[in-house]
Formats: sequence, structure tokens, C-alpha cells
Amino acid sequence: METFGLWIAALLTLGIMSFLYKDNPIYKFCESIFIGISAGYWFVSLFWQSMYPRLYLNIRGAISTLLHEGRISDDRWLYLVAGILGVMMLLRLVPKIGWISRWPLSFIVGSTAGLYFITYLQSNIMNQIRSTIIPIYVPGNLGISISNLIVFVGVFCGLVYFFFSREHKGAFGGAAKVGIWFLMITFGASFGFTVMSRMSLLIGRIDFLFGTWLGLIK
Amino acid sequence: MKKTKFIILIIPLILIFFNLSSPQEKPVPLPPTEVKAFDTPNDNGHSLSVTWKLSPDDGAGKNNVVAYEILRAESPKEEFEVRGMVPSGENLFDDKGSREKEDKNYLPSHKNYYYKIRAKADNIFSESEVSNPAFAYGQWYHTGKTPVLAGVIIFSIFALTFITLARKGKKLYIRPLPGIEAVDEAVGRATEMGKPILYVLGLGTAADIATIASFTILNRIAKITAEHRTTILVPCYDSVVMAAAQETVRAGYLEAGRPDIYKEENVFFVTSMQFAYVAGVNGLMLREKPATNFYLGKFYAESLLLAETGSIAGSIQISGTDEIAQIPFFIAATDYTLIGEELYAASAYLGKEPVLLGTLKAQDWGKAVVIICLILGALAASFHFQFFLNLFRVQL
Amino acid sequence: MRRTLPFALVTGVGFFMLVQYFVPKEEFEIAYEWILDWTIVIGCFAMLLGLWSLTRVNISKVQRKTPGWGYSLIAIAGMVFMLLVGFIPGQKSLERGSTFMLLFEYIYIPIQATMFSLLAFYIASAAYRAFRARTVLATILLLSAIIIMLRLVPLGPLSEINQWLANFILTVPNMAAKRAFWIGVGLGVTATSLKILLGIERTYMGRD
Repeated sequence: METFGLWIAALLTLGIMSFLYKDNPIYKFCESIFIGISAGYWFVSLFWQSMYPRLYLNIRGAISTLLHEGRISDDRWLYLVAGILGVMMLLRLVPKIGWISRWPLSFIVGSTAGLYFITYLQSNIMNQIRSTIIPIYVPGNLGISISNLIVFVGVFCGLVYFFFSREHKGAFGGAAKVGIWFLMITFGASFGFTVMSRMSLLIGRIDFLFGTWLGLIK
Repeated sequence: MKKTKFIILIIPLILIFFNLSSPQEKPVPLPPTEVKAFDTPNDNGHSLSVTWKLSPDDGAGKNNVVAYEILRAESPKEEFEVRGMVPSGENLFDDKGSREKEDKNYLPSHKNYYYKIRAKADNIFSESEVSNPAFAYGQWYHTGKTPVLAGVIIFSIFALTFITLARKGKKLYIRPLPGIEAVDEAVGRATEMGKPILYVLGLGTAADIATIASFTILNRIAKITAEHRTTILVPCYDSVVMAAAQETVRAGYLEAGRPDIYKEENVFFVTSMQFAYVAGVNGLMLREKPATNFYLGKFYAESLLLAETGSIAGSIQISGTDEIAQIPFFIAATDYTLIGEELYAASAYLGKEPVLLGTLKAQDWGKAVVIICLILGALAASFHFQFFLNLFRVQL
Repeated sequence: MRRTLPFALVTGVGFFMLVQYFVPKEEFEIAYEWILDWTIVIGCFAMLLGLWSLTRVNISKVQRKTPGWGYSLIAIAGMVFMLLVGFIPGQKSLERGSTFMLLFEYIYIPIQATMFSLLAFYIASAAYRAFRARTVLATILLLSAIIIMLRLVPLGPLSEINQWLANFILTVPNMAAKRAFWIGVGLGVTATSLKILLGIERTYMGRD
């Protein structure tokens, strides 16, 4: 079984890699299998990991409590609300009452908007301001003073670059230009970092083909 | 004689031996005093805190205190249970309980508890007096989050002010953005070539603000494509996003007065697995050969795969994301890139509605306030005024 | 009803989520957790919509015999097969060693890993194209990328200088620009969220 699985994995690997040459029937076959299998996998894992324990088991537990203990006060009944909202989502498939699916959609969007309004204000703004409040001049330490000054200038100019309601002209334009230079340094650093990790992924695949499958690399 | 000498020699040796082997009596440390129990502030009502005055033998006197043990009971006469330990030198302990009744660590609200502190020196200890009774209760307001509340109020004032000004007809200037200016040209190109437009919302869910920002842009572009009678294809990663995208595109076609040419199957679900989604979209790009590709939303490692394949297919590509790690790839592989906040500003650029321009102005004022805070903060830090730094300290 | 109630829901739930951040009380904490839980359950139901969409699009291609309809058939077959295997009575599908997980391990994982590894090739072609641009900005990006890439490569006497330069870039200008970026994004998200809560942003709801 394992050998068969290994051969399947290796052939599919080669099939996907053939895309580097050009789009071809083998790649298209692998792509179709990939999409179908992934959609099926995603639904099954979502069902067993989320839907089943959260909805089915909880509602079943609440019903069991009602039947055996005669007790209706059970928090688990609240999962019925989620179930109802979920069914409303499915009503999208019925054209005449499809507008009902806006309710669960609004629920999701509203909860996200409220939460992110606060969390981004705290993490992206407050925390970043706090981290950037650094002394420009540190007596006796020229190196740190210069570093802190560069950080301050970088943040200042970067923020100026993102101003939308003023044209980038004159001194303002100059600061914005410095800002985009700082941003390009960051993007270059990200790029450089990522190159190494992507190369290691390729090495992993080569190792699988030549080592695990063909046994040429020990 | 020899026997006597032997006894005289051996007895002291025996006495020395016993003296060395029996442990010396270690002195008991003095107990901590002034034990005070109180409700832990800014919590959900299931935590108590205890503070005490350090034992005189902690860091002074006999200097033999190694740790403090915190004990709790429901009444002074009941048996106390150990709740935790802190090293010597510390005089505060948060007794965090659970709110679940089934949990072993359950600490109910509004129930009195008593505390004692043990000053420990290896295996010996001394105990303090029993503390005052204290009960836990939840607060209505978390004082540690006041800086965030201030931020909410300030930003909301800016937003509402500029929205009001914009509604009154005040003209608000916005500088040109190359990525947005290229949209009309990009859609026009697709119309001339008779090829579709591909719009990729990214891997975000409907719970991502970047995706919601992208919906606004999608609506505008759908309206333009409807006016030009160009096909727009929207492959979706998430089912909820697909549902919202279908509503968005349909609304765009309605606004353009062309609901008859809207096709729901053009806004479809692919799969919810990252690289399978990419494989599907790549295949779509190579087969349909769209004239223009839009990548606007949340992207991760797949960004380069999408952008490069689109480049191979010969499409004009406009991208935008708030994921900083993916922007270099979009810059390298696409024609125009909206960097970070520009993605959120794009809807205002495309629609030019006063209300949207007003919030853009509020964002700019927000940045101005941040810059002022940074300048003042740098000066405060340089002159060691710690209070300014504390203004931005958020306790969670 | 069609738009008023959804709008009320957005504003109501949204403002509750905003307020609960400042109110530590247990009841607010519990309500917050319920809302997050319900969102997950709704997402599970929405997945059925996704599967329906995928099936419909591919079956339509098969029925119309559009070019490449055979691949649509393969995609549907793959999905149906996975669904059948995933719901075999009595078998724990997500357990290691099950048929379902073997299919995932020998089909999905290798393809995913290979797709990921294609990035190594694409990153090279993207870099070539970008750095051909010969603008000041492309040059800065290129230089910064090269310094970071070479920091782990032994360069003899130049290693120390490169390491220092790489470290400086990462801790000083890189950090500065990232902070400006994050602050900008934070303001953008905050503004967009406020627009949603106030009902200014409603495109996701569509129109009648």
C-alpha cells in the first residue's frame, strides 16, 4: 500500500512540475484531481471537527437533558440559533426567498467589523505608537541615537507617504519619497527572506523524488 | 590504662559524629504581615488578589525566606488549601479562578474567601494572620483599556466631522493613485479584446476587513464591466465570500441598469484549500486568458503563483493587499500595486462619494495625530518623561 | 425587512462586539464566545453552498461539452469520492490510517507541496523582471534583497560587513517602515469597520 501510495505521490508531483514547461493535459488532470479532492476533504474535516461537535452533539445533549432530567434550561439550546442562521444561509438557493441569506451574512460581517475596529486600533495603532516612542538622543551612545533617529524618520516619512488628501509636492513630497524608499527596503528584506525558504521547499521535493521514491539519495 | 585512654579518645569522637549527623535546628523565618485580600480589578469576576508586607527575614534579618505560599479557605476555621507560590521579594499574587462550575479551579463570584501567607525557608515556614474576607465581582469597565477608548472617540469624531462636511458639499482633494487610475484603462482593454476580467478576492473570509474592502471595489468594477458588457469572473475561496460576492456583483449590474446580463455562475466557489484554489485559478487564467486580473484582498504565499501565471497569460494586473510579506511579489509581478492602506482607500477613489472621501480625510487626520504623538513621544523619551509612554500602555 | 433588519443586525452585533472589549463582565465574555461559535457554525452551512456552486459550474461544463469538460468530470468525481469515503459509517475518517486520510496523504499533500515548491522558480523569474525595471525604487528593493539573501552565505572577508548590514537593515529601516505600514493598515481597517457599523458600507448586502 505504501509503495503504491508513494508512486501515486511521485507521479502527481511530476505532473504538477510539468506546468513549468507549459500547460498540458497531465497538469490539467492533476489540477482537477487536486481541486476535487481538496473540496471533499475540506467539507468532511469541517463537518467532523466543527459542525458535528458544535451543533449535533450539543443539541443532542440538550434534548437528552430535557427527556431524562426534564430540565429545559440548558445553554446548549442556543446552538439552535446558529443552526437557524445556517439554514437561512442555505435559503440562498431558493430565488424567491434568497434575500433571507443576508441576515446570517450581516451577522458575520457585523461581528467582524465591531471586533476588528477595536483590535486593529489597539494592535496596529496604540502598540506601534508605544513601540516608536524612543529617545532620539541617548547620551553616551551615538550608535543607538543614530538608529533611533533613523527609526523615527522612517516611521514619520512612511506615514507621510500614506497621506491621501495632500499632493506629494515640495517638502511634503520629499518626505513621502523618503518614506517609499524605506518601504522598498522593507519589501526587499521580505523578498530576500522568502527566497531562502522557497528554495528549501524545492529541495524538499527534489529529496522526495530522488531520495524517497527513487532511492538515489541516501 | 590503655583502656581508659581509648575511652577518653573515643567518646569525644562519638559526640562529634552525632553532632555532625543530626541536623542543626534552622531558624524559622518571621511571618509576613498586613495580608490584604481584594477583588482583582478589570476582570470577569472570578479572580481575587492578595498582597502582604514582606517577612522581616526576606532580604534582611535571618535572610532565609525563599518563597511565599498563598493559601485560601472559605472560612477562617476551615482547612486552607494552597493556591500558589511566589518567590521571595514578591508581595502580590493573583488567585485566578475559572468561571466554569465543572472546573476544579472554579471561583464563584460574590463569595467570601480568606487568605493566609506562608513564608517558606526550605521545609520550615511561618504563617501570617488570616486576611480580611474578600469576594470577586466583575467590573463594568476595564480601566486599562482607556487609551483604546480615547482612540475610538478621537477617530470617530474625525470620521463623523468629515462625513458631515462632505455631505454638506465641501470638496475634498485626494491625490492620484496610479493603480486606481489604471482601472478604467484595464477594463477598456478587456472590452476591446473581447476577453473577460478576472477578479480574485484573495484567501480571506467574510470575517476579514480586507475582503470587505475588496467587495466595494468589486462592486465598482462590476458596474463598469456591466456598462461595457464585459464578462467578469470571480473565483472564490470561501463560501460565505462567494455569497457576498454574488450579491455585490449583482448589485453592480443593477446599478448599471443591466441586470439581464448578470450570470451567477461567473461568481463561483473553487475550493477552500490554499494551493488547490491557486491551481484552479491558474488553470482558469491559462484557459480563459483574461485581459485584466485584479488581485485585491488577503493573500499569502500563493500571491506570486497567481501573479506570475497571470503574467504568463499576458494579462494586465492590478493588485493590492495589506499583507506586507506579499507586497514585494505583487510589486515584482504585477503592473500596479496598492500598498496596505491604499487598498482601503481604493473604494473612495473609485466611487468618489462624499461620505467615503470624508472617511479618507478622517484617516489622514488620524495619521496626523499619530505623527504628533510620535514627535511629542520622542521628546518625552529623550527627556525621560515616562508619563507619556504610559498614556499608550494598554492592559489586556 | 430585506435591508433594514440586516442593517440593524450589523450595527447591533457590531456595536456589541465593540462594547464587550471594554466590559470585563462574565456575561459579556460568554456572549462574545457564543457569537464567535455561531459564526463557525454558519460557515459550516455555507460550505454546502460552496459545494453546490462547484458542482453546478462543473456539471454545466460537462452538459455543454465545453472544451476541457473531461477535467470537470474528474474534479466532480474526486470530490464525490472524498465525500463518500469521508462518511463511511463506523469509520473515524480523520483518524490516521483511515482510507480518507490515506487519500489525503498520498494525493493532496504531495500536490500541495509541489505547488508550493514551484514558488522557487517563480521567485527567480519575478526577481528578474522586477530588477530589469532600472528605477531607483527597484534598485533599492534589489540591493536590500541581495544583502538579506547573502547574510547566511560565507563571503570570506565580506561576511562580517554583510552580516552587520543585514542586521542593521532588519532592525532599523525595516522595522520603521513596517510600523508606518501597520499604522496605515490599522487606520484603514478602523475606517472601513466604522463605515460598516454606520451602514455607509453595504455593498456586501447587494441591492434589490
